[in-house]
Amino acid sequence: MEAQPTKAPSFSLPVDPADQKATEFRPFSIAPPHMRAFHLAWLSLFSCFFSTFSIPPLVAIIRQDLNLTETDISYAGIASFAGSIFSRFAMGPVCDLVGPRVASATLSLLTAPAILSMCLVSSPNSFILVRFLVGFSLANFVANQFWMSSMFSGCVVGLANGVAAGWANMGSGVTQMVMPLIYSFIMSFNVPSSTAWRAAFVVPAIFQALTAIMVLAYGQDLPTGNYKKRSGTTPKEDLLKILFNGLKNYRGWILALAYGYSFGVELTTDNIIAQYFYDRFDLNLELAGTVAASFGMANFISRPTGGLLSDAMGRRFGMRGRLWGLWVVQTVAGLLCVLLGRVNSLWGSIVVMCCFSVFVQAASGLTFGVVPFVSKRSLGVISGMTGSGGTVGAVVTQLLLFSGNKYSKQTSISLMGIMMLICTLPITLIYFPRWGGILCGPSFEPHKADGSYHLLE
Amino acid sequence: MAERGFLLASLLLFCCLAGTCYGIVLFSSLPRTLVVTASPSQGQVLVGGEDKITVTWGVNQSLPAGTDSAYKTIKVKFCYAPISQVDRTWRKTVDNIGKDKTCQFQIVAKPYDASNKTVQSFELTVERDVPSATYFVRAYAYNSENVEVGYGQTTDAHKTTNLFEVQSITGRHVSLDIAAVCFSAFSVVSLLGFFVAEKRRAKRSQ
Repeated sequence: MEAQPTKAPSFSLPVDPADQKATEFRPFSIAPPHMRAFHLAWLSLFSCFFSTFSIPPLVAIIRQDLNLTETDISYAGIASFAGSIFSRFAMGPVCDLVGPRVASATLSLLTAPAILSMCLVSSPNSFILVRFLVGFSLANFVANQFWMSSMFSGCVVGLANGVAAGWANMGSGVTQMVMPLIYSFIMSFNVPSSTAWRAAFVVPAIFQALTAIMVLAYGQDLPTGNYKKRSGTTPKEDLLKILFNGLKNYRGWILALAYGYSFGVELTTDNIIAQYFYDRFDLNLELAGTVAASFGMANFISRPTGGLLSDAMGRRFGMRGRLWGLWVVQTVAGLLCVLLGRVNSLWGSIVVMCCFSVFVQAASGLTFGVVPFVSKRSLGVISGMTGSGGTVGAVVTQLLLFSGNKYSKQTSISLMGIMMLICTLPITLIYFPRWGGILCGPSFEPHKADGSYHLLE
Repeated sequence: MAERGFLLASLLLFCCLAGTCYGIVLFSSLPRTLVVTASPSQGQVLVGGEDKITVTWGVNQSLPAGTDSAYKTIKVKFCYAPISQVDRTWRKTVDNIGKDKTCQFQIVAKPYDASNKTVQSFELTVERDVPSATYFVRAYAYNSENVEVGYGQTTDAHKTTNLFEVQSITGRHVSLDIAAVCFSAFSVVSLLGFFVAEKRRAKRSQ
């Protein structure tokens, strides 16, 4: 007698019957488990970005109280990304082991004390250490994308990934505006400035802890339930094979470099832009924060638009279209970055910065429109490499251009644009035998079945 | 293309020159006409919010009469000593006083009467928002259009003598420290609580 299936779960969204993944994406619904998972995922990553970037908008006052030098501030900025390089890469296998829900909530709850310890900081070295520890929370990006890929089917996974990452990235912009406001609000109770900025960091910490608890309470790893411990199903040898398969794929490295100069540049700009407007154009703290915020908040539409554009180009021109779209958008972003450093007026800078933010964030979205197609077996490894590449790019850019006094900030911004243009060129070298590349068409022979490059279904 | 470049260059040059006609005052052009003294001695540490500082200023009597006829206001300020400016571009000294960031904290601003030859003085408790650093005191003399026309300072031209320190409050508060520790504990405990609850739920379902 055939085993009867237990009651089939009924979802409010249409699903693919094979794996119960949703085939539609409805951002304004909170129906469990798919859309609820989406909202929990982007909210918890939003809180991580909010915490990590809550420090830059207040640096102008913190530097007075802690007697920081330019070198200290730039080392802290580099440290804030350094930890996330490794944590992002490690997050992939961890999600595989325990599921994205537990992985992301654990990371959020363990890094909330790090942002709280900004209340206790009283020396440059402890400032750098705190920024290093808080930066670990950015690994939740990998858990976020992993969770979306587990909940949404191939036809909408690009859009779900793009919107989840884009709305979460907004946290880096919102915090630039909100933190100075919180600081002013606390000061209005006659609290001295040096206590007010410390107290302000309680807000991001509580927010991060609350979202993590919500993820644990209301979230679900898979449409069918939560992860059970996968003991014995993935022997260590297989994992190493998947790892090396991913690492030896040159396309992963090129995409990592490209992401380092789209998302990495975005991270660097988040770190320096408030101080840039404060110092160069003499704006007050709140105004500099608001201007800097508009950079991060453009993520609401620009990153999803990048994903949508990639899908549209893919439908029309195939992989060649996706690659062309990525190269063009990222090159334009580089040119706008060069221009940002040359503009001398306040309003000109704001306008160029807004255009720059749209293009650089769309480029990030376009990058993850290509990533799923590089390797099906090693998707996690490629995603982790690309994600880490983003933060490596941020670290390298900050080290080379924004530490010490070699260049003025505006020259550094222009040089960053030039680096973007150079590091975007290797995209022209990406070539898929089956679909072609930027310069050449496909050389696909239908008789040869190349097992490593499957279209993600 | 070349003509456009030339036009742009000449336009920029014109703007720079026009700027010098329109109130860009260079510090190197100001005469040192005021004699300024401050109560802290070399190397003394003033605690912000507690210690007092007394500053005095007056025109150098050895200068010819009429030097100060245009002076209408005197502003006395805390200025960063070079050691506190190292590796901190937000405190940089530039010749253009409008862009100069050396003197950011004002002690006092008083109107000036050229006929009154006595030395003015003022006592102030150092404000809490003055950051910890090494300082000297400088006074700028302004004319009726609020343009700098003279200065004086407690230190020499190379800013090496008569420097004092200000130590500001740390801002750390016991209640804030306790709140931070409590919230951190809550965060970690709630994570452990979740794991315990999950284990219990798994045991119960077995």
